[in-house]
Order: sequence, then structure tokens, then C-alpha cells
Amino acid sequence: MHFSLALKLLWRDWRAGELTLLLVSLIIAVSTVTTITLFVDRLQQALLKESATFLAADRVVASSDPLADEILARARELGLEQAETLSFLSMVFSNDRAQFTAVKAVNDKYPLRGKLIVSDAPFVRGTPVESGPPPGEVWLESRLLPSLGVKKGDILDIGVASFPIGNVLVKEPDRGSGFNSVGPRVMMNLVDVPATEVVQPGSRLTYRYLFAGDVAALDEFEAWAKPKLGVEARMFGVKEGAAGIGDALDRAERFLLLGGLLGVILAGVAIALAAQRYSLRHYDHVAILKTLGATPNGIDTIFVVMFLTLGALSTIVGSGIGFVVQMAAVQILEPLIPIELPNPGLRPVGLGLVTGFICLLSFALPPLLKLRAIVPVRVIRRDLGEAGIADRMTYSFAFIGIIGLMWWYSQDLWLTMLIFSGGAVAALVMSVVAYGLLHSGRIFGMQAGSTWRLALAGMQRRGQENTMQILVFGLAIMLLLILYLVRTALVEEWRAQIPENAPNHFAINISPEDVDPIGQLFRENGVASQPLYPMIRGRITSVNGQLSKERDEQREAVSDDGGPRASSGRNLTWTAHIPDDNRIIAGKWWPENYRGPTQVSLEKDLAQTNRLKVGDDLVFTIQGRELTAIVASIRTVSWDNMQPNFYIIFSPGALEDFPSTYMTSFFLDKHEKLFLNTLLNQYPTMTVIEVDALIEQIQSIISQVTLAIELVLGLILISGGLVLLASIQASMDERFKQHAILRTLGASQKLVLGSLAIEFCTLGFFAGVLATFGSEITVYGLETEIFQLEYEINPELWVLGPVVGMVLIGVVGTLATLKVVRTPPITVLRELS
Amino acid sequence: MIKTVGLGKTVSTSEGQLTILKGIDLEIKKSESVAIVGASGSGKTTLLSLLAGLDTPTRGDIFLGEYELTALDEEQRAKVRGQMVGFVFQNFQLLTSLTAIENVMLPSELKGDSRAQEKASDVLQRVGLGHRFNHYPGQLSGGEQQRVAIARAFASNAEVLFADEPTGNLDTGTGAHIIDLIFELNEEFGTTLVLVTHDVRLADRCTRSIKIDSGELK
Repeated sequence: MHFSLALKLLWRDWRAGELTLLLVSLIIAVSTVTTITLFVDRLQQALLKESATFLAADRVVASSDPLADEILARARELGLEQAETLSFLSMVFSNDRAQFTAVKAVNDKYPLRGKLIVSDAPFVRGTPVESGPPPGEVWLESRLLPSLGVKKGDILDIGVASFPIGNVLVKEPDRGSGFNSVGPRVMMNLVDVPATEVVQPGSRLTYRYLFAGDVAALDEFEAWAKPKLGVEARMFGVKEGAAGIGDALDRAERFLLLGGLLGVILAGVAIALAAQRYSLRHYDHVAILKTLGATPNGIDTIFVVMFLTLGALSTIVGSGIGFVVQMAAVQILEPLIPIELPNPGLRPVGLGLVTGFICLLSFALPPLLKLRAIVPVRVIRRDLGEAGIADRMTYSFAFIGIIGLMWWYSQDLWLTMLIFSGGAVAALVMSVVAYGLLHSGRIFGMQAGSTWRLALAGMQRRGQENTMQILVFGLAIMLLLILYLVRTALVEEWRAQIPENAPNHFAINISPEDVDPIGQLFRENGVASQPLYPMIRGRITSVNGQLSKERDEQREAVSDDGGPRASSGRNLTWTAHIPDDNRIIAGKWWPENYRGPTQVSLEKDLAQTNRLKVGDDLVFTIQGRELTAIVASIRTVSWDNMQPNFYIIFSPGALEDFPSTYMTSFFLDKHEKLFLNTLLNQYPTMTVIEVDALIEQIQSIISQVTLAIELVLGLILISGGLVLLASIQASMDERFKQHAILRTLGASQKLVLGSLAIEFCTLGFFAGVLATFGSEITVYGLETEIFQLEYEINPELWVLGPVVGMVLIGVVGTLATLKVVRTPPITVLRELS
Repeated sequence: MIKTVGLGKTVSTSEGQLTILKGIDLEIKKSESVAIVGASGSGKTTLLSLLAGLDTPTRGDIFLGEYELTALDEEQRAKVRGQMVGFVFQNFQLLTSLTAIENVMLPSELKGDSRAQEKASDVLQRVGLGHRFNHYPGQLSGGEQQRVAIARAFASNAEVLFADEPTGNLDTGTGAHIIDLIFELNEEFGTTLVLVTHDVRLADRCTRSIKIDSGELK
């Protein structure tokens, strides 16, 4: 019985225009959430895919032994694409010259992601090709050609086989930035390797098995295969595998999630406000229905059925609109987004639908449920109508909903609790302060002219509602400011990570006698270079008397791959000055002229993983000799900064007795690349690693990520605007009534409009002040805890926040209430009576 | 039909406890028409809302028909109201989003009566609004709105009609017409009528008047 009545009442409400605002809010909220969810999902997938070119695959297994057939068969079963590479170090010869090179043999499927770029001559921009060298030929990296004195078409000997040089290799996607790739690259086909006879039992080989495919299959494969890999093998994806990209992607992902999250909250607030207004306007209706015999349970049924119908309708329409809007946005933005977005999957559409419905349940249902508590005697005495309405129960719906959604979206309880508790504390403080501000406004207003007095008196009379409204305005502005501030901090951090003119070439294997002349050569050619660091290979053999191999078994992993092992061979250096980007987190850096017992400074992950601390005694084995050192400090290292970085640094002079080579990094512009030929011709024993292409790739990804987060910021701004409108709309009836009465009493248009403008500007100003305060605190938490950025106070915000609040709310509010002076007062009063 | 025993109502205000009704004992017989009269603030409207089951007393008992209202919860009181009570209010209390006929249909619809439209249509014709079925309350004059409210009260076959200042918002001429209408229908339907009024003409038309002063019957 109540079901059909509910539908009738719904239809009658709709016909009378009562539902328009609620339905529009619901549809806009659901469509905004769907748009953001879809867009973020597609961007995330696209960025990951684009970044996968750094590995030439989505997942890689690197191993010193061939991988078991069982694992490869499983990957085939799951429909994953596969490719294989084999890397080893070898001397190569041509004419009478020889060069130590890093050979990479690839099969025909390589690369699975990204492209190889080749050319006919060294040091020029090449053209992309789909796969590596065909059997029977080799490709050489640019700098090998001058050092071997060869050109395309000449013959190169590897082991006992000879191959013509088929191409100059300008770029390979998974070249990597580490020093594992020491030595210029020779690329050949995997089938030619046996003919060279260089791969013998005991040779140091690195097999890499590349996999690509859809996310679900990859995840399944990873989960299945990882436990089956031996200690010699390691599986990784783009985030763990490509230095400089993982962090940027992680942070971008968190930002996009945060954006989605704030979008959901804003949409929820808009829904709650519209539902609140609907509910308020129905207090009398419910009282009449109860008088006529509707029971509280009947009222619940009526409004729950109405709500579910509305919810279903708006969720379906909203999701549809969201889908179309994000398709249109992608179309419009296509020229701006340099990466190809994958097709939207069904998952985000489902996510949008569910999000929309949870939003409705937590934000729209509570105000409607309050209606059951309306007492029927309200038909006679209106002031009694709201007695006994249990706000606590209904608001807990909203809280549970909001926490649930935030958790679901972020998959991060810590982030959820941080934002939620920050928001709750801010709301509490804000409401106390807002009430105080309103009160002080009144005292000030009493001294002012009639327009001011009218406005400020009105504001204080509706103190509770206005405190609420300041909170809502403040919350919306605060969320937008948070997003804006975090975005700015992220983009600045990324830009600072790889500044213009950052070193884009590494020079290693520099002999001690070449250090000064090379420095001179750099200066003469105007090449900006970093200091020259000595470099010696060595390993830690014992810690406080315990063999480090034994300690390896008890490592405390700080990352998926188990973290750096103490016993692994490492590049060691010594220096008097701490490198620029390193920060001491324990112990002390030695004085500049230190000449005491040998000390070392360890990188944080190495120290933490292996439980090494300041004061530990370490024994190193370097070139067959032992050296004892005490740990003097632990430091952080920015691995992404493209400068020489070391896990272990010794105090000055400690390694002077060991023969060492030197390394440095320097910057060369594209048109200065020929300098490399001069350098390599004069110093043929040194090795130069070009990372300019890699840096360019990182910068391009970072600018794509930046664009992505800006697009999401734009979408959230739209949500914020909706909340402001809904909030103004929600308070409209009361204002209309007040000002219609004033108009009836003869108040001029100027007085009424002036007082409305002052009221909204003042509310906006207070909201802006509170939003600035709240956002500074939340951004501090977010930047230090979630994004690992250094927090800085934003002085400009303290001007921007209040001014934006005042102008935005003042203009929007006044425009929205213009109707009050344009409509005859009697019409307004009749409509609202 | 209606009986109260020691009925009292006290409310909390910012200045302490305020007693509105002090031990009211009264009895109203079936088909009787009773006017509750008294000065503003004397407690007559509170008494009406208690008799109709819209509010609960702080002490005493109320019997409406076969029901002891004071022993029922809000869910049960609502059912009783739906079954046997009709209302006419000073400010009409029509749902603004519903047309005249929909407002009149509402009580029957709440009871699940499939003949709601037919009944509503008959009563609306009866009160002279046959030409106003699809008008919204905002499009009707005060007198017409009150006639819709009267039609709504009678359309549900209420046994008792409670009216709170039914002519309070109307001019003298329209008020007189409304009074006529209420009494005509009351007679026609055999309803028990309890009304609160300041209007002497209206009180005089009732079979009995109850005067209330400072919460006590005089």
C-alpha cells in the first residue's frame, strides 16, 4: 500500500518541482564521481603502460640462471606476451681495436613495451623500429663507433663469430640508469649467441624474461610465480624496476586517489545539502500525513521507497552522463595528452555506480530518515515539530559512509584516518571559531550603517545555520586548496628532482692520471660537470665479527625485492664533503680535514635492511685485501637525481692505498653530443653512459603526470562549485522569506541586495579564513606523512583563501538571490507559506 | 465517544515547568458537536491536540471510541487517527505539491482504499469545488482551500471531526459559508464534532460549549 503511495507522492513531488534540486544534485554528484573514477582509472592505466616502456615490459624476471620451463608455460597459459634477453660482458674487436662491451642478446619478440631507436650514423636522432637485430647482424651504441673506428656495414668480432654492423643503436627502452649497464652496448640476436662461444659454464650472465599483458593476468602470474623463484631470480614491475619513475608514479597515483576521494566527499556534501533542504521542506508534509493516519513505519517506507527510486534513477542517469562526459573530455584533451588512453573498462563504471549509491545511502538517507521523528502536533504548533529528532544516529550514517568510501578508494587506512580525523578536528574547531566570528561580526555591525546592521544581525539571528554554512563553504574551499597545494608541491618537487641542465652523462673508469686533464677538457669546452669521485669495487665481509653472508639471512626487508644485501659487491668511494642531496639521519659526517681511523657513511636502506648502526665495526674486502672501518653516519640518498650516488662512502684518504678509477657526471646539450667523440678518442679507456634519453623520458612522463593531476584538479573544482551552489540553495528559503518581508515593509532593492551581498561576502571571508587554516594543517600532514615531501608554509594562501572565499561566495550567493528583489514579495511569501 | 480523566499537560520552558492543562475531566457523546472556547493561551488548542491523539498528556487518560489513546504508542495512535479522525485547521494544512483532488484522496490512499478517487471526487463536488479538481492550493482562495480541507476530513468517513479555528483565517462572509458547510456535512455524515474557536457564531451552532480558562474547565 505504502509502496504505490510512495511512487505517487514521488511523482507528485517531481511534478511540483520539489525534487528538481535533489535529483539534479544526485545526478551531478554521481556523474562527477563516475567521470573522475573513469578518468583516473584510464590515466593510471595509461601512465603505468607508458612507464612500462622503461622495462620494455610490464613485469620482468631477472635471473643469473635460465628460468624454469614451468614458469614460462604458466605465463603462456595466462595469455601473457613473452620476450627474452641475455646480457653478458665481452670484449669485441674490429680491425685492430678492442673494446670491453655490455652485450645484450634479444629474441624476436623484444621489446614488449616501448621501441628501439636506430640510425645509420652515431649521435643523431634515429627512427623507431619494432624489434631488435635479425639473426646474423649486430647493432652498436653510438659511442662504440668512434672508439672502435667503425661505421655501419663494417665487421665486428664477438668471440669466434663475426657479424656485420647492421645499425647504430640510439636508444633501447630498458637501458636503465644504474651502473649495471657499464660498458657500451652491443645488441645481437639471441640465436647467434652459441656461435660466438663466449658463453661458457661459469660465465656471468643475466637472463631477463619479459612479460606483458592485462593487469589481472599479470597480477595472477606474479602471485603464482614469485614464491617459485630461486634466490638468484627477482621479479619486478615498473615501480620497482625503473629508478626515477617509481616515486613519481606512486605519488601521482596517491594524488589521483586523493583527488577522487575529495571529489566523492564534495559530491556527498552536495547530496546531503540537497537532501537536507528537501527534508526541511517536508516537515509540514510529514506532520500532515501523520495527522491523516500515516504511521512512523509508513513514513519510513514512503521515503525509503522514494529514495531508492530516486537513487536508482540518478545513479543510472548519472553514470551514463559521467561516461559520456569523460569520453568527451578525453576527446577534447586528446591533443594535450601525449599518451594513448586505454579503453575504459567495466570496473570503473561499476565503481561509479556503487559509489553513487553509497553516497546516496550515507548522505541522502539520514536527512530523510529524520522525517519519521516529526511529531504530528506540528500541524498546530510548528515550534514543536522538530522535537526528538535523533541527529546522532543519522549523522553516524554519513560518517560510516564517508570513512568506508575513503578507505575503499584509497585502500589506505592511514590516509583515510588522517584526512578524516583532520577534517573532523578542523570541523569542530571551525564551528567554534565560526560562531565566535559571527558574534564579533554582530558587535562590529552595531556600529555600522543600516545595510551592514541588517546583514550582520541576520547572520547572527540564524547563528546555527550560518555556522553550518560557513563550515560547508569552508570545507569545500579547504578541499580545493588542499588539492591545489599538494599539486603545486608535487610538481615543484618533480621539477627540482631533475632540474634543467641536470647531468645527463656519466663517465666511469677514469684512471687517476686522467683526472686532471679530463677536468681541464671539460672546462675548456664549457661542459658543466660534478666533482670526480674515486670508485673501487669492494664488499662488506663481516659486521662486528659476524660474517655478513650469515647476516644476509636475517635481513629486514624494506622493499619487495628484499632490499640491498650487505655482502653484495658495491662501488665504494671516499670524499671530504657530503654529496649535495644526501642528508645525515644518524651519527655525524667527518670534518673536512679528517685523518683519523677509517670511517664509513652508509645509505639508509642498506643500514636498515642489514641492521647496521652507527659505531658498528665493518670489515671490507677490497681487491683481495681487508680493511676495517667504523660506521660514522647513516644518510639518505636521492637515487632519482641522476648524479653519482653511493651506498657506502669512506672518510678521506681511507682508500688511497688501493688503485682506483674515478667517475663523474656531466651535462651535454643535444647539439654538443659530438664532444663525446673528442672525449672518447682522447681517453679510450674511460666509459661514458648516456642517460640524456632516459632523463628526457622521465621528464616527459612527469609532465604527463602533472597534466593528469591538473585535469583531475579541474574536475574536482567543478564538484566544489556544485557544493557551493547546493549550500547556497539550501539556505535560500529562509533568506527569501526574510527579505520578502523586508521588501513588503518598504526596504529598497539597494538595501536588500546590499545586505545579502554583505552577508555572503562575510560568510565567504570567514569560510576562507577557516579553509586556509584547515588546509595548511591537513597539507602539512599529507605532505610529510603521505607524499614524503618537505612542508613549507604558504604565505600567499593567507591572502588568497579569504579573498577567494569572499569573492566567490559573495558573487555566487548574491547572483543566486537576485530573485528576491525581482519577484513580488507576495509571490515569495505565498510560495513559502 | 470521547472521554478524559484527570488530563494534564506540563511542558518545560526556559523559565521552568509550565502547566497548560490541569486535570481535565470531560465526556463527549457520539454525534454531539462541542465547541471548546476560551482566551488565547488558555490551553484549548492543547486540549484539542490531546483529544485527537496528535500529542501525549503528561498525566491522565484519554478514551477515543473504543481506544484508550494514552495506552497506545505513536504507531498505534496514527492508525486510530487514520481510521476514525478527520481534521480541519485554521491554516488549512494542505500539501502544496498536491492538487485539490489529490489532497482529498490522501487519507483514503493511506488506508489503501482503491476507491479513493471516486470518494474524493464526490465530496469535492459536494463542497462546491467540482471545477477545481486539478488546482494546486496556491491557486485557490482561502475559502476554497478550507473547503478542500473539509472535503478531505469527510472523505475518509471519519467518526470524529476535530477543527482548530476553522474560520480564523477567513473573512466574515466566507467564514459563514464554511460554518454552514461543516454543520451540513456533520449532520449528513453523523460525525462527532469537536472544535476550538473564538467565533461566537460558530460556538452557538454547537450543541454544547466547554469553556477553558488557565488550563481548567469552567
